[in-house]
Amino acid sequence: MGILDLKKISFSYNRKGFIKDLSISVNGGEFIGLLGANGSGKSTLLKLSAGILAPQMGEINLWNKPLHQYKGKDRAKLLSYLPQMLDINVPFRVRELVSMGLYPYDILPQLSPEEAIKMVGLGEKTDSFITELSGGERRRVFIAMTLLQGAGILLLDEPLANLDIKYQIELIRLLRNLRDIKNISVVMALHDINMAFQFDCVYIVKDGMLIASGEPHEIIASELLKDAFDIDVTISDIFHPLKPLK
Amino acid sequence: MRKIILLIIVSICILFVSVFIWPKFINPFNLDDTGSQIIFSIRLPRVIVSILMGSALGVSGAILQGLLRNPLADPYILGISSGATLTAAAGLIFGKIIFGLFTIPLLAFIGAISTGIAVGIMGYKRGGLLPERLLLAGIGIGFLFSSILMLLMSISADEGLKRAMLWIFGDLSMADWSLIPYGLIFIFAGFLLSIWRVKGLNALILGDEIAYSLGFSPFKERLILFISVGLMTASSVSLGGVVGFIGLLIPHIIRFFVGSDCRFLLPLSALVGGTFLCMADTIGRTIVSPTEIPAGIITAIIGAPYFLYLLRKREIMGV
Repeated sequence: MGILDLKKISFSYNRKGFIKDLSISVNGGEFIGLLGANGSGKSTLLKLSAGILAPQMGEINLWNKPLHQYKGKDRAKLLSYLPQMLDINVPFRVRELVSMGLYPYDILPQLSPEEAIKMVGLGEKTDSFITELSGGERRRVFIAMTLLQGAGILLLDEPLANLDIKYQIELIRLLRNLRDIKNISVVMALHDINMAFQFDCVYIVKDGMLIASGEPHEIIASELLKDAFDIDVTISDIFHPLKPLK
Repeated sequence: MRKIILLIIVSICILFVSVFIWPKFINPFNLDDTGSQIIFSIRLPRVIVSILMGSALGVSGAILQGLLRNPLADPYILGISSGATLTAAAGLIFGKIIFGLFTIPLLAFIGAISTGIAVGIMGYKRGGLLPERLLLAGIGIGFLFSSILMLLMSISADEGLKRAMLWIFGDLSMADWSLIPYGLIFIFAGFLLSIWRVKGLNALILGDEIAYSLGFSPFKERLILFISVGLMTASSVSLGGVVGFIGLLIPHIIRFFVGSDCRFLLPLSALVGGTFLCMADTIGRTIVSPTEIPAGIITAIIGAPYFLYLLRKREIMGV
């Protein structure tokens, strides 16, 4: 039994079934990558796990209690979600936006907004307006907010999209450090197959179903990946910048 | 912090000038009968009404721009002013004066609140109040009511209706004490609601999904804030009609100075909105005295060029 359990859930936006009879269990300290082509159901799966969408069938339990029974603030302390589209047109300062990660709390947490901002490498832009930052920098601001929120489970929808390779690697490193120190669990939607090697466990999603799960080396080599992405995959044993951490 | 203190001091000075100095100086330390009569029956109620209206409009604009995630939003974009105008006018044509002095304001308030509810119902879909739906519903209902109003005006030759129209389009010269307690209660209630949910408003600006992840229910937050805007805008229109500019531009100007955190933006929009309308009204009844220029005209003539100047220098909500 994991800390976040999706049991046989089904969900559809309209009549047509989309997520079909899907079960996933997330354990403490686990690093899970969701791989799948565009429109495969990765984002829907994350929204269901976050409680933003409610499944028509099946149940979702967070710490053995149905997710929908949590009060908003209590849930926010355990589980946070960062969408793929971060569209903001109001000029908040970086510090103001990141500080919103403290909203679920009535007492001051261990981490300060400034520390969270430094962790994503934006220390010098603490007082800048978010509207003046680049797409990648904005994403890091939201990631800092999520870190400050301090939940034990992070559901991140393509957080590596439009980040420079340097920050992709740093973000993965940062999250893995947090896992080592605080035992956080991360579920991350990906579309870069190369990044899959950084995860403990990879799930492949196709047409709203899990078609494979396991360690990245097994999964990436499998025929199923070719099927999911409709491509040929060749694994070459080249140096990967993050490999030493594994 | 220094900017905020400066704003408060400037506001107090403007209020002092409006009550005691313009259009005719009255020494507050040496009041005669005429002086106190002018201050207590004419100037003070008018100053209070203008502050109440301006504050309500400033805060409502700031809330709506965040709630609808749209820099063009102002308190009237939800059709509330058209609703108020239509019921006031229709009431005068068909029902005549029922509640004496209270007739126009009461009708306006009923129209404003029912329009707000209608827009809210139209904006509701799939368990949420959707910003785009609210906007479109507001614009649609606004057009409908404005055209019905035009129709009424073109077939009616009623003198009272003309007076009501003047009043509805922003005339503070009728201000007296009788309406102030009601305006104060509703506007204060709306303001307290918005301050109570100010964190939810900040979170909603980041998008519904992030607000949810931070522990807020987007529907509940938006509904409470919508009610708060409805109360404040309806009260403001009922107190002195439709004064433009403040609700649209004051929040943008405040953002230039103190940023977008609604915990500062809302109270300061109230302070500056109130002071600004009070100042505009004082200028309007002074410069070509005894003729009065409606406050709405002054607010736009002073405010718009300043706003355009700021727009040249800085970005507004990312554009």
